[in-house]
Amino acid sequence: MVIFGVLRSGLYALTSVGLALSVGVIGVVNFAHGEFLMLGAYLGYWLFVSYGIDPLLAIPIGAAALFAIGGAVFRAGIQRVLRAPELNQMLLTFGISIFLQNLAIILWTGDPRTAAVSYKATAVPLGPLVVGLPQLVVFGLAMAFVLGLYLVLGRSRLGKAMRAVAQNRVGASLIGIEVDRIYLLTFGLACALAGVAGMMVTLQLSTSPFIGLLYTLKAFAIIVMAGLGNINGVIYASLVLGLSEAFVEFYVPQGGGWSEGVFFLLILVVLLVRPKGLFRS
Amino acid sequence: MRRAGAGVTLAVLVAAAVALPFWAGRAQPYYLQLALNILIFAVLALSWDLLARTGQLSLAHAAFFGLGAYASALLVTLAHVPIALGIAAGGLVAVIAATGLGLLTLRLRGIYFAIATLAFSETLRVIAKQMRFTGGSSGLIAPPLLGGSLPAQYLFILAILVAAVAVSWGINRSRWYFAFTAIRTNEEVAGAMGVDVVRFKVLAFAISAAFAGLAGGFYAHVFLFINPFEAFSIATSVGALVAPIFGGLYSTVGPLIGAAVLRVGEEILRTKFRSGYLIIYGLILAIVILYLPRGLVGLWASMRRRGRAS
Amino acid sequence: MGVDAAAWEGLVSLLALIDITKSFGGLVAIGDVSLEVRQDEILALIGPNGAGKSTTFNVISGLTPPDAGRIVFDNVDITTRKPHERARLGIGRTFQLMQPFHDMTVLENVMVGELFGHTTPKSIAAARRDAAEVCELAGIAALMARDVGELGVADLKRLEVARALATHPRLLLLDEVMAGLTPAEAARAVDMIRRIRSGGVTVLLIDHVMSGVRDLADRVTVLNFGRKIAEGPFDAVARDPAVIEAYLGPEGGSGS
Repeated sequence: MVIFGVLRSGLYALTSVGLALSVGVIGVVNFAHGEFLMLGAYLGYWLFVSYGIDPLLAIPIGAAALFAIGGAVFRAGIQRVLRAPELNQMLLTFGISIFLQNLAIILWTGDPRTAAVSYKATAVPLGPLVVGLPQLVVFGLAMAFVLGLYLVLGRSRLGKAMRAVAQNRVGASLIGIEVDRIYLLTFGLACALAGVAGMMVTLQLSTSPFIGLLYTLKAFAIIVMAGLGNINGVIYASLVLGLSEAFVEFYVPQGGGWSEGVFFLLILVVLLVRPKGLFRS
Repeated sequence: MRRAGAGVTLAVLVAAAVALPFWAGRAQPYYLQLALNILIFAVLALSWDLLARTGQLSLAHAAFFGLGAYASALLVTLAHVPIALGIAAGGLVAVIAATGLGLLTLRLRGIYFAIATLAFSETLRVIAKQMRFTGGSSGLIAPPLLGGSLPAQYLFILAILVAAVAVSWGINRSRWYFAFTAIRTNEEVAGAMGVDVVRFKVLAFAISAAFAGLAGGFYAHVFLFINPFEAFSIATSVGALVAPIFGGLYSTVGPLIGAAVLRVGEEILRTKFRSGYLIIYGLILAIVILYLPRGLVGLWASMRRRGRAS
Repeated sequence: MGVDAAAWEGLVSLLALIDITKSFGGLVAIGDVSLEVRQDEILALIGPNGAGKSTTFNVISGLTPPDAGRIVFDNVDITTRKPHERARLGIGRTFQLMQPFHDMTVLENVMVGELFGHTTPKSIAAARRDAAEVCELAGIAALMARDVGELGVADLKRLEVARALATHPRLLLLDEVMAGLTPAEAARAVDMIRRIRSGGVTVLLIDHVMSGVRDLADRVTVLNFGRKIAEGPFDAVARDPAVIEAYLGPEGGSGS
């Protein structure tokens, strides 16, 4: 059970880290984050079905595409409400989320689509257990991306600029950082990461227009647990979510249905008890 | 002069609303059904606006709607309570839940509050889906209100709407208006001015939930079938918030206009797209936030101001 | 500078803070601070930035519960009372970062205090009348119908004062009302505060504008790093070496 929980948390971490970035650097809680993931998932599906490209191999395409889309959305709308009350931002991204979700329904119908890659059913023995190969690969890749992001944030000039803006927008602009450009890049990056996560979802599970909201909420649960803006805590929080879900699935009767509600409960509990997050550095 | 005009318009509208079922009942049941749907939506929109006046923007109105629906359906089918009483009880259950949730979320602001309410709503949906006595994912069947007579049901919901309008209007003309607005714009300062913030916030929650719950209970006994997906659907919460934002927040007229326009628009779109028509809500929400911050009512007011100036 | 609670009996103090401590995440904002405000006096609370003055105000008005200590107002222990209860008991305050209620007109802003700041409820009409009077007193009568968004700094400050006065306080906490004002406006502010005091309101004020403090204050209390380091008439405090050191650093300076 632990293994399943851990494997799952890899994908969750990747999903949430983009949102954490958006919240920490720009200060926008993007309600539509999951929809970008969903778009990435559909892109992965179509690439596979039309050209036979394995979603994992198509990741660079997905990342680039979602980066562009995210940037466009940011420019067209979100940038305008950055100075407005926080609630306007929330409502705008909420509106975008509804728009994208229903756009998907109209364009692609509400039926779930699955990319049946050749190795989908392959299982790999891991100690006393047998684990699906896709799950393992996804976990590895997801963690690689997350750790890669940490490296970028820590070492690169862009990463340092992002962290500066996250800490103090005015101060950062005073030392010459183009804050608006950083915002645009960060948002694009967040959407790209979501898109990549989406392609992994296509590989591992199925995609439908409705998964967006689900992943948005799980990402919320994770970043709330980690503490808004605390990117480092995302991995730990993802582990908590992954393990709790696995726990419920295994040990609670009819667990499959209940595990859907785990993250809601976590959100509620954390917000009510420790709103600053569990893993504040 | 302006007051008299508004009063006359109001009287005409009310008369038309009451007369509608007698004309349409036999001749045009489709329009009567549409009007009934608009009224349900209007009650929901008003109820959301009531809470929004204290600055609490909830994404959970589906929760109160669903609670009202399930509570009423269960009480009537299992305990054989008369339907009207069941609906009232549905409202009461929603009030109790809202009071609890309101107290728990007192310290949460803005987006934290919204997420918490959304989480609450979705938790209820999962519970309704999992438990057997709520019928699981297959849902429940509820007996019809007032013998299934459409005109009678219409008048029932009209009565609820009139009550909601009266409450909303009354609040906006009383001291509560000052308390709500002060809390909304600046909670800490409001407290320093003597406003009992906790009391007003929870009261707003309770009143708001009462109407949403009544609407839910009504819905159950008119559409006769409820399931977790529909009763607690996010679409309900979304509709409840887009209508007031579109029509004009913190007013009585705004949510009504928003509800009417949106519902009719939805109906038109529904004929074109079997699903996904909610896209218009997303679009409208985005456009309003970006370009029309005060909604239709605000737009009208600013046009009148400009007209007067020129 | 601890205070024996029993010694408070018999003094004509309107407000007494007794050994108040408040920390934020490990950082002590105010530690073991005791001070009293006497009836009808104007007491100034001064100190360098970060000394704990705003925290003290927040503790008094109820926005920040203290970790330890007691607050006694008019012989009633209000340590656990909520902000709105304290407002009704007679503690009014302004806010340093001007925070008007922005969806309402100036008059409506003031009406909030009239409607809710008293223990006996008032009708809207009566509140409107009384609020108009308060606006007169604060010098903003001409602006009553305006949207608060249109007001300039000086007028916003007057609105802050008017709002607080609308609750008819016995103790008025003024948070940096003179900051950012021209000398002429500051002089008018001093005038207004004097008039408020002669109307029977005790004043506790925080400010950095020392000329105003010197003109107004009967007594001055100085905080530094969350502790009280001096107290007394302005001239005595201004000469206190501990105070000079707090403001100018250990190298000292030749007078303030």
